[in-house]
Amino acid sequence: MPVATDLLDIQDLTVTFGGGSSRVTALHGVSFDLRKGETLALVGESGSGKSLTALSIMGLLPPEGHVAGGRVMLGSEDLLTQSRRDLVRTRGSRVSMVFQEPMTSLNPVLTVGRQLTEGLEFHRGATRAAAKARALDLLKLVGLTQPERRMRQYPHQLSGGMRQRVMIAMALACEPDLIIADEPTTALDVSIQAQIIDLMLDIKERLGTAILLITHDLGVVAEMADRIAVLYAGHVIEIAESLTLFDTPRHPYTEGLLAAVPRLDVLVAGTTARVRLAELPGSVPSPADRTNGCPFTPRCPIATARCAAEMPPMTPLDAAHSVACWERAP
Amino acid sequence: MTRFILRRLFTALITLIISSFLVCMLIHLIPGDPVAMMMAQNSSPTPEQLAAMRHMLGLDLPLWQQYFHYVGRLLTGDMGRSIFGSEPVGKLLLERLPNTFALAFAGLAIAIGFGMPLGFFAAYKKGSWADSALMAFAVAGVSVPNFWLGLMLVLLFSMTLGWLPVAGEDWRSMILPAVTLGVTYMAIIARMTRSAMIEVFSEDFIRTARAKGLPESIVMFRHALRPAMISVVTIIGVVFGYLMGGAVVVENVFSWNGLGRLAIQAINYRDYPLIQGFILLFATIIVVMSVLLDIAYAWLDPRISVQ
Repeated sequence: MPVATDLLDIQDLTVTFGGGSSRVTALHGVSFDLRKGETLALVGESGSGKSLTALSIMGLLPPEGHVAGGRVMLGSEDLLTQSRRDLVRTRGSRVSMVFQEPMTSLNPVLTVGRQLTEGLEFHRGATRAAAKARALDLLKLVGLTQPERRMRQYPHQLSGGMRQRVMIAMALACEPDLIIADEPTTALDVSIQAQIIDLMLDIKERLGTAILLITHDLGVVAEMADRIAVLYAGHVIEIAESLTLFDTPRHPYTEGLLAAVPRLDVLVAGTTARVRLAELPGSVPSPADRTNGCPFTPRCPIATARCAAEMPPMTPLDAAHSVACWERAP
Repeated sequence: MTRFILRRLFTALITLIISSFLVCMLIHLIPGDPVAMMMAQNSSPTPEQLAAMRHMLGLDLPLWQQYFHYVGRLLTGDMGRSIFGSEPVGKLLLERLPNTFALAFAGLAIAIGFGMPLGFFAAYKKGSWADSALMAFAVAGVSVPNFWLGLMLVLLFSMTLGWLPVAGEDWRSMILPAVTLGVTYMAIIARMTRSAMIEVFSEDFIRTARAKGLPESIVMFRHALRPAMISVVTIIGVVFGYLMGGAVVVENVFSWNGLGRLAIQAINYRDYPLIQGFILLFATIIVVMSVLLDIAYAWLDPRISVQ
């Protein structure tokens, strides 16, 4: 990535849930940055804090959630301290979001056309006619046939893949600098997943929109991401460029995660037998019983006493690769 | 949409046919000899008089013939004659119908006009003291019997404060009965609206609307209200049925000259043709109302109307 400027810079984002004695910390000082036109994948198991990070950026945390610290810089503005009014202006216009479930994420009682044009009318002050013309262009851009007809249809009249294309068109409507895609392919059939990935790659290519891709699907990551940030129990534990991370993961959790991906091309040495799929023993600790140490300690094959006592900081291995592990980056 | 309406009208017709059958058979469900009981009110009738009455009412015919005669007369607008006063039942009912309609719709307007905004507000302020207060009020509204509420309102506004008349025919005397009728159903509608709105607020598409950067007013009114209305409209249909029943009681409390009072008189005098006419008219009104609401429902929910 030569001479790329930072678009999004998240520093030390900490999010807690609940209050009083039942208060738990769900994100522990998450930091990463995203450059213009870049695709960064945020990878982790369910409960690792991927979606929470996205919702914090958008200011859409559920009512029990609370940002306890950190900064989310979009350009020169901190989204966390923006006024409600400015935040509304930012959402959908400079940063927009594609959600996981296209069936329930579109309003069932409004036409596709209405859901596409309303953002344009509000953010860009477009007239109905102008917004409609733009919406037709957007539907063509995301590869939907018969755009005029689609405009008049309701979400339930479209297939899952078509609905996700509509979601993407909606996210693109105001030409945002950044699209946050939260598991954009998880709810779709495999063949449709591939189409949506191609569409997103194409859009990235043509419009130069940066994408924050949130997923647990390493296949999608491999196809789309320039860089990858691995999240475990609310901590970023490794960041690297895609190829580096797939080839030389440093954190034992990342290693385990990659080993757990089914592969058809690797055989047991000297035989024709396929390698048995590796698994990560144990499960992610609940946010309620966290210690001061590295949360991966109980599952880690190389953990030491220090790991249980103290959380390792993110330590750069080289310009593009950082890891939080006492053993791998002392 | 046209097909949906036609299908709905067809089922409404079947409901009406079943109602008319039940109403026609009603007279046979009464224990003892209805004709003797009807006539015993005045004097002791002779067997000849009883037979003449039976013949006049068509009760001497086989059941299926009675039903077809009954329906045949209904189709020509003849609902029979009241036993007392011997006026046509249709005429008696039609005279009172506007009064009951006025009262019922005023009550419904109060119930919807206050119930929906209150429920909407409570849902928006969920968990606040205003929400708790409104819902406590709603529970009270549902629990209080309307005849008691009516009497209390009369006591306060007519007897103590002297602001409104106890009874009468003008619009001012309609206020108290309409409020009495409306409050109960307002409470039901407020609770329904609140829970429907809270459910919609948690939907993914509301999060999408917020993520699009739409101001909260558009999120509420364009994205949340209409889906929530869908479940509220279904309840309004049920509420309207109860409201018509409630109107019978309230009319008697306030001596409101509507169908309800007529019905109670008819029951007291065992005026069966009038009772039959009253039941059939109420059934028809409720069926028509539910057809209209189903059409509103389909209009609100494109998943039904667009096939």
